[in-house]
Amino acid sequence: MFRAIVDNIKGLWSLIVGLSITGRFFFSPVKTVHYPRQVVDPESLASYRGPLELVPADDVGGSKCVSCQMCVRACPGNCLTVIKGKEGKAPETYLYDFTLCCLCAACVESCPTSAIRFSHNVYLTARTREELHMDLLADLKARAAKASQ
Amino acid sequence: MDLSITSLAQIIIACLMVIGLMVANAVVMVYFERKTAGFIQRRPGPYEVGPRGTIQAICDSMKLLGKQLFIPGNVDWLLYFLAPVLAFFPVLLLFLPIPFGKFLTAMSVDEGILLILAFSGLGVISNILAGWSSNNKYGLLGAARAVSQSIAYEIPMIMSLLAVIFLSGSLNLSQIVEEQGSWPWQWNICVQPLAFFIYLVSLVGETNRAPFDLPEAESELTAGFHTEYSGMGFALFFLSEYANMLLVSFVCVTFFLGGWKGPFLDGFWWTFIKAYLIMMFIVWLRWTFPRVRFDQLLNINWKWLLPLSILNLWITAIVVKLL
Ligand code: SF4
Ligand code: SF4
Repeated sequence: MFRAIVDNIKGLWSLIVGLSITGRFFFSPVKTVHYPRQVVDPESLASYRGPLELVPADDVGGSKCVSCQMCVRACPGNCLTVIKGKEGKAPETYLYDFTLCCLCAACVESCPTSAIRFSHNVYLTARTREELHMDLLADLKARAAKASQ
Repeated sequence: MDLSITSLAQIIIACLMVIGLMVANAVVMVYFERKTAGFIQRRPGPYEVGPRGTIQAICDSMKLLGKQLFIPGNVDWLLYFLAPVLAFFPVLLLFLPIPFGKFLTAMSVDEGILLILAFSGLGVISNILAGWSSNNKYGLLGAARAVSQSIAYEIPMIMSLLAVIFLSGSLNLSQIVEEQGSWPWQWNICVQPLAFFIYLVSLVGETNRAPFDLPEAESELTAGFHTEYSGMGFALFFLSEYANMLLVSFVCVTFFLGGWKGPFLDGFWWTFIKAYLIMMFIVWLRWTFPRVRFDQLLNINWKWLLPLSILNLWITAIVVKLL
């Protein structure tokens, strides 16, 4: 009986502690942003895993990929298609199906030349499934062109 | 009480004003509640509709009015339609004996608190009818919980109010306010802190608010007894829920916090300020505590609140007798 009373008084005290925490949070500044007018500071997106992208090797849209197929084999979801070009080791086609990707990073870790990485694109939207079947070489060229402007 | 034309007109006008108060209260409280939830979770809450989201609640209620009244198959439709009406109209009556100000009482009856306690029981009946008639297992479970919860929490609630009634020797709410002074140390809360605490806990239980919102526990019962209601039916339940909150806050203010009396200048504004402070406290509770389990809910009541309130009543009776 005595114990139960002590327990209940402790319990009541814990309720007051809880109230004080939410009370403090009520007056502290909000953590979220109003999306279309404000965006999250890019630094806090550094750990975000967006769709894959190729790492640029130079300024004109070349990639570090040597078409070794390690990523294709490592991928549990069969998202990647890499076809070696006629000359040299550079790939001619690099297709990536984001609809199948589970963002597990097996491809990124298995790549011997560190040619792929996760982008930090949190704002990706798509209306059709096809938009998520991405051509990473074209994407790399587009980024290089945009950067050189 | 004479039932002349003037007093009848007075009651009708009061009812209309109470309806206005109920609707305004629901709109303001929905906005306030969502904002509070937002701030406590460190997000802005409603923001886009109107300046800082102020007309969000109005837009939501407009949308609710435009919704189809969907009637599920196999409902007992007479009871199904009766339930929301029965939830809404008794609440109207409950506001009549409340003394908002010195002369601002719609119907000053000698047994005011009895009227309130008796008619607030009708709210539970509407919950049972809603849960039963909608032919839905979640509804029925919610209704069953609502009944056992209300029965349980009404007893300590009445006991704690009785302690105050012993002191003032009257069931008339205006009389009870008259007995208290203007300054906080002259209020009943200082004489009856335990009764105030018990009342505060049981008012949360009585109005089915979190952490005691078991009849409509979203994660277990979808929406409990009003699962099958849409459009106006849902709106009526919603209105009466907020109106019930306001009512128990008013009763709390009248009994423990000096009613319309307050420092510097007595007046109806003190009733409203104090009642809304209690409402804010209830909202704060909701966004702080997780929902209790059903056995815990009944344990709190039968094992702690009830014995405590009986003890408090005994002590009060002895002290009143001796002094
Ligand atoms: S992250 Fe995983 S699932 Fe996605 S492409 Fe790489 S290996 Fe495949
Ligand atoms: S593992 Fe790296 S180098 Fe090999 S094909 Fe994949 S991306 Fe290219």
